[in-house]
Amino acid sequence: MVSRVRKFLDRLHPYFAKGGPYEKYYALYEMVDTFIYSPPDVTRTSPHVRDAIDLKRVMSYVVVATFPCICMALWNTGYQANLAMANMGIESVPGWRGMVLDTLNIGHDPESIYANCMHGLLYFLPLYIATLVAGGLWEVLFAGVRNHEVNEGFLVTSMLFTLTLPPDIPLWMVALGISFGVVIGKEVFGGTGKNFLNPALTGRAFLFFAYPAEMSGDAVWTAVDGFSGATPLGMAALGGVEAITSSGVTLTQAFMGNIQGSIGSTSTLACLFGAVFLIYTRIASYRIILGVFFGMFLTAGLFNLIGSDSNPMFTMPWYWHLSLGGFAFGMTFMATDPVSAAMTDMGRWIFGLLIGAMTVLIRVVNPAFPEGIMLAILFANIFAPLIDYFVVQFDVARRKRGYH
Amino acid sequence: MASDAKKVVLDPLFDNNPIALQVLGICSALAVTSKLSTALIMCVALTAVTACSNASISMIRNHVPTNIRIIVQMTIIASLVIVVDQVLKAYAFQTSKELSVFVGLIITNCIVLGRAEAFAMKNPVGASFLDGIGNGLGYSIILIAVGTVRELFGSGTILGYVILPLESNGGWYVPNGMMLLPPSAFFIIGLLIWGLRTWKTAQMEKPEYQIHQVHRTEVM
Amino acid sequence: MLKKLLTMKNDSTQKTLIVALLLCLVCSIIVSASAVGLKPIQEKNKTADIKKNILDVAGLLNDYTDIDAEFENIEARIIDIDSGDYTNEVDVQVYNQRKAAKDPAMSQRLNADSDLAKIKRRANFATVYFVKEQQQTRLIILPVHGYGLWSTMYGFIALEPDANTIYSLKFYEHGETPGLGGEIDNPDWRELWQGKKIVDEDNNLKLEVVRGKADPGSTNLPYQIDGLAGATLTSKGVSNLMQYWLGQNGFGPFLNKLKKENS
Repeated sequence: MVSRVRKFLDRLHPYFAKGGPYEKYYALYEMVDTFIYSPPDVTRTSPHVRDAIDLKRVMSYVVVATFPCICMALWNTGYQANLAMANMGIESVPGWRGMVLDTLNIGHDPESIYANCMHGLLYFLPLYIATLVAGGLWEVLFAGVRNHEVNEGFLVTSMLFTLTLPPDIPLWMVALGISFGVVIGKEVFGGTGKNFLNPALTGRAFLFFAYPAEMSGDAVWTAVDGFSGATPLGMAALGGVEAITSSGVTLTQAFMGNIQGSIGSTSTLACLFGAVFLIYTRIASYRIILGVFFGMFLTAGLFNLIGSDSNPMFTMPWYWHLSLGGFAFGMTFMATDPVSAAMTDMGRWIFGLLIGAMTVLIRVVNPAFPEGIMLAILFANIFAPLIDYFVVQFDVARRKRGYH
Repeated sequence: MASDAKKVVLDPLFDNNPIALQVLGICSALAVTSKLSTALIMCVALTAVTACSNASISMIRNHVPTNIRIIVQMTIIASLVIVVDQVLKAYAFQTSKELSVFVGLIITNCIVLGRAEAFAMKNPVGASFLDGIGNGLGYSIILIAVGTVRELFGSGTILGYVILPLESNGGWYVPNGMMLLPPSAFFIIGLLIWGLRTWKTAQMEKPEYQIHQVHRTEVM
Repeated sequence: MLKKLLTMKNDSTQKTLIVALLLCLVCSIIVSASAVGLKPIQEKNKTADIKKNILDVAGLLNDYTDIDAEFENIEARIIDIDSGDYTNEVDVQVYNQRKAAKDPAMSQRLNADSDLAKIKRRANFATVYFVKEQQQTRLIILPVHGYGLWSTMYGFIALEPDANTIYSLKFYEHGETPGLGGEIDNPDWRELWQGKKIVDEDNNLKLEVVRGKADPGSTNLPYQIDGLAGATLTSKGVSNLMQYWLGQNGFGPFLNKLKKENS
């Protein structure tokens, strides 16, 4: 089977190679080929990332690392929807999702893992497909025009982007968001390896500012019509940790991730699995991940010490900061993006600390944005080249003085 | 002379646009373009100031002592801006309220002082006036383009007339909130520059370094 | 003399001084001429603008409204906010509440506990407007302001003659986030205010903007307005400024007097 695909692709190759009739569409051919097989030109010339392994494996590993999050996304999205339906006394799921669930006789029992996952899948798949189609179109278009290859980086971008979305978001917004992320966040700067912003986050930030009511309102986080509830961070902004616990969300729940929130970034535990895998395979820099964590830890501690009469967020301890919102997801998958993060070892520490500190700063002090990790990472992305520059200058100066 | 005059007016529109090529006057392009009507008034105000300041500075250009040259130019520009501001407050009150400080800030708009120093100090009155008009129009083209996009996609209207009926009013269009925030103008201006330089390749900057390009089909 | 000036060396001290002097003279004449000459029109615009906002909240404004003619039916009075009495201490034609709030002689500092609207200083006097119809008061219009998320929101609230039922609310100046807090301009949301009551039978201030949707089963429904989706802090700001201005530190005494007159 596998060799037959290989043969088929090889037979097609002359048509797409230079001089062939479909020369222009080589990018498409190359994309299909190398998604299935490893590319013929592994790191012979200069690679796109400054690392010893080739970009394609890096990116495939990141997709593997998101598997715990994806599983959690499927289950939790369905679970939250089924739970809300059970509480509201709704008997059937409306629309095509209901038809599929009924036809397959799956039901919507919040106790059943299978029913939850299937229900979640019906939300996850459309978002993911919309992301792939819309973003993929741009990728292929630019690859064709610029005579580049279509990059696996996009697989990572599209997966990460999907996981940060609210389940109830309209699909056209998904398409618009990923288009913005791919074009403005990456392609205008020359494509993968030349972008200084994380494309998935750029797209997410675009949606956040363009459609604030759909991205931060009360009603979008659970996939049931008419259900409205704030995310824990939104509640905390008003009443602190007490507001969260009194609404029935425990720290364990927040850490495990069976709470309302973005489709796939609620579970800190799932993200930590991914983080361990990425660090073990040396894809992600442990310096960045630890930097983000300690930045958060220190800043949260500082705010705890200062205290405030009017702002309950000051008292939120670090373990809540870690468990709530997209902190763990951003720390594991977004901050460690090898292209847009700092490149030097020292720089990675600074980069991470900056993100952690900014996240808590935005969460606590800025009244408009309950969540801060997205803006913090984008902010640090912009500073990454500057951080590297100073780290290098510092090293050069130190060596000139003769110390080693 | 006729073709010269034409060149002086038309050159700044696309070939030497003050915003797109020289990247001057960006600040007000962000601030006043969330609605087309404010953008239009701003364009008129800036064009008037640039043309009049160019003409008056050119008029006295042979008698301006070099050491107080900039002060003289600033005084003239500042006076003209105040006059324009007063006129707007009298005859376009609503818009001038929305423009708030940005009319006053024309004083600091680099285009005005830039043209005064670069053109009006060396050229006769007529040509300087036309140069002011031309650069004002170059600025206007970009502002109008940005204002149109922002108002259309941010509020679904153009000059207040409904083009895309909003969902909240029973229509189908969900307005893009980012278009109402100033940073969106950066993206639009950026895309405009991208488009303009693709069209007029002479405006492209030379890359500082070049990575050796291999055609992908040559690899195997 | 002109000829002498024109032939003088440009960079000589004498010419520098003369050019500078002449330039300043010409510029100042132009500037002052335009400022003085246009002043009457500008003043007219300013008063027309305030009138327009008041007519708007009274529901009397459309594209064809003759502002001055329509304003004939509106009577402006100055009241002392603390006592709720009418006063003639300041001229109603020139009184500017915003300027007065900055003047220590005309205003008072609010302590943090009572300063619900987060305005720090409050003027002693306020201009209130009565919309008349055949000599009868049809609406009472009160100026309100307070801090939202990003900005101070300035608006008018129109009350029915019973001084307890809201007719409408309109913010004419604010800098809240477009699409979120900026939705305080949304006609649908503004419509929610119509018919809401400020106090209950026992004169307890109950008006509030709630989070999310007001519970239709609640006995407090006549006093509650739905919050704006995704704009918790702006909604809270509006709620707070209403409670301040309609409470006993704001127009409460004045409204009580009106109610007594009515009964």
